[in-house]
Amino acid sequence: MSSSSSDDFADLESELLAISSDESPDDEEVEVEEEELEVEDFENKRIKRQKVEVLEEIEEAQGSTSLGALRQESGASINDDICPHPASVGGMCVVCGEKEVDGSAVPFGYIHKALKIGSQELARMRRADLKSLLQKKKLYLVLDLDHTLLNSTRFLDISPDEGFLMNQTDSLEDIQKGSLFKLDSMHMLTKLRPFVRTFLKEASDMFEMYIYTMGEQSYALEMARLLDPGEVYFNSKVISQSDCTQRHQKGLDVVMGADNAVVILDDTEFVWSKHKENLILMERYHFFASSGRQFGLNFKSLSESSRDEVESDGTLSAILKVLKRVHQSFFNSDNEANLMSRDVRQVLKSVRKEVLKDCKLIFSHIWKREELPENQKLWLMAEQLGATCTTERNQSVTHVVSLEAGTDKAHWARKRGKFLVHPRWIEAANYFWKRQPEEAFELEPPKKP
Amino acid sequence: MFFHIVLERNMLLHPRHFGPHLRDKLVAKLMKDVEGTCSGRHGFVVAITGVESVGKGMIRDGTGFVSFPVKYQCVVFRPFKGEVLEAVVTMVNKMGFFAEAGPVQIFVSNHLIPDDMEFQSGDIPNYTTSDGAIKIQKDTEVRLKLIGTRLDATEIFCIGTIKEDYLGVINDPGAAV
Repeated sequence: MSSSSSDDFADLESELLAISSDESPDDEEVEVEEEELEVEDFENKRIKRQKVEVLEEIEEAQGSTSLGALRQESGASINDDICPHPASVGGMCVVCGEKEVDGSAVPFGYIHKALKIGSQELARMRRADLKSLLQKKKLYLVLDLDHTLLNSTRFLDISPDEGFLMNQTDSLEDIQKGSLFKLDSMHMLTKLRPFVRTFLKEASDMFEMYIYTMGEQSYALEMARLLDPGEVYFNSKVISQSDCTQRHQKGLDVVMGADNAVVILDDTEFVWSKHKENLILMERYHFFASSGRQFGLNFKSLSESSRDEVESDGTLSAILKVLKRVHQSFFNSDNEANLMSRDVRQVLKSVRKEVLKDCKLIFSHIWKREELPENQKLWLMAEQLGATCTTERNQSVTHVVSLEAGTDKAHWARKRGKFLVHPRWIEAANYFWKRQPEEAFELEPPKKP
Repeated sequence: MFFHIVLERNMLLHPRHFGPHLRDKLVAKLMKDVEGTCSGRHGFVVAITGVESVGKGMIRDGTGFVSFPVKYQCVVFRPFKGEVLEAVVTMVNKMGFFAEAGPVQIFVSNHLIPDDMEFQSGDIPNYTTSDGAIKIQKDTEVRLKLIGTRLDATEIFCIGTIKEDYLGVINDPGAAV
């Protein structure tokens, strides 16, 4: 085909369209007729197409969707409004190819940079997805990256005491085996949290997993590659800063999962202000010195003292046990029929309530006398963990929580043989979802003057 | 669809190239500038096949650069609505799948995949018929029909369908293994 000017491209397009749409009907009789009359003018075709369509309508009573789409595309006057424009890529509707304008569509940049999905379609997909997921006995798990699954630092911020790490990085050739990586292109050193590989492997049997980070997309994808070199877990499920629909907030609106089946692991609570009930708050993983400094922590970092979390007994392994419990109790309830309407948030709540069950706490010298105890963070936290909080000393109290060992209540605790613990005992229980041994948080008796 | 057409372009050339090899330099630069680019009107420039004419150069005021109007023949690829193409699947997800036909990216939504094919997540996400006979996954070759096209300065993007007769998988790499 040769032409010196390309002005006739447009004509060609319409011609092509006319031909292709005329070819499609599956009515044999008409097709034969059509072949005989292949060379005919456009006007005639138009008339015939309408005839074909009438035929179709009579014969194909079931009215398949392909038929609908076909008519749409051929530009026929009948049923022009049939396409609901469920989603668009690059401004084109994915069903009819028309330029589509829908202000309410949510961008899904992490699947494809130009993909937008309308709210109705999203709801439909969520329902369908949830159904098939529940059949496989799985739920959704949304994972944060920094301080939850790993810790990164820029080359610039590496302190002298941890400089030795630069020579101890693992090879990027065999990512599966390593845990400390040097990423020259991003000037970054990344340390994966101990146990993370086992964690992901076991969690993937119970959950469909997403990464959701406030980092940039390039960083998020690179981290996903380190965590999942085989691209088994996070295939086009890496959500980063640019995908968030609200500034400084993470939302489940861009996750293709129904709210009642999502568990979130994150170290920052306030970004999930709308989904606190789905969240399992993680104890931050500070491996590098710079990471702790960002949060105002001034003790020696894990890297500087050449330590690390213990593989088998760290946060991730504790949380994995929690996830297993949540998963089990979600699917093991008695009302088997009603799986779709179950709510993982309720499950989380009840699992959390088990942690400090049977504990009755009384607080001493933690907040000012005039402040309302019911509003205190610690008080609420303890109640969420299933403990009973009180302000009155009596025999049923099991723990006295205090910052100092010399208070009245502390003395009372020692005399009556009650546990006397630091508030960190509650915080630790909150992070590990497990009642911690009181001995480790016991307050030293005050030295006699 | 491919076309062999003649296009024209004003080429700016630095004075250091003026000499016996001026024309070669011009052609080399033309190829570098034009091949692989996209225009909304003509589509994707696949290759330059010849230079028809090089017009008189004009010195640009102030810079010393000279602009030559060059007419060249080239092969362009431009997708059309209604065109049937063969493409290789690059990514499969619950929304549908993405495929490539040379420089053209095509998205086929799950609405336009036959109803009997269902999405299966897992290590290799795919769309499979209930009897498992037909499977679309990464690297599968499919024949599809375009229902919408968008041409940008740098890329061509299309919407396609395989929900019609004679469309769908034409070769499945997974089946051979």
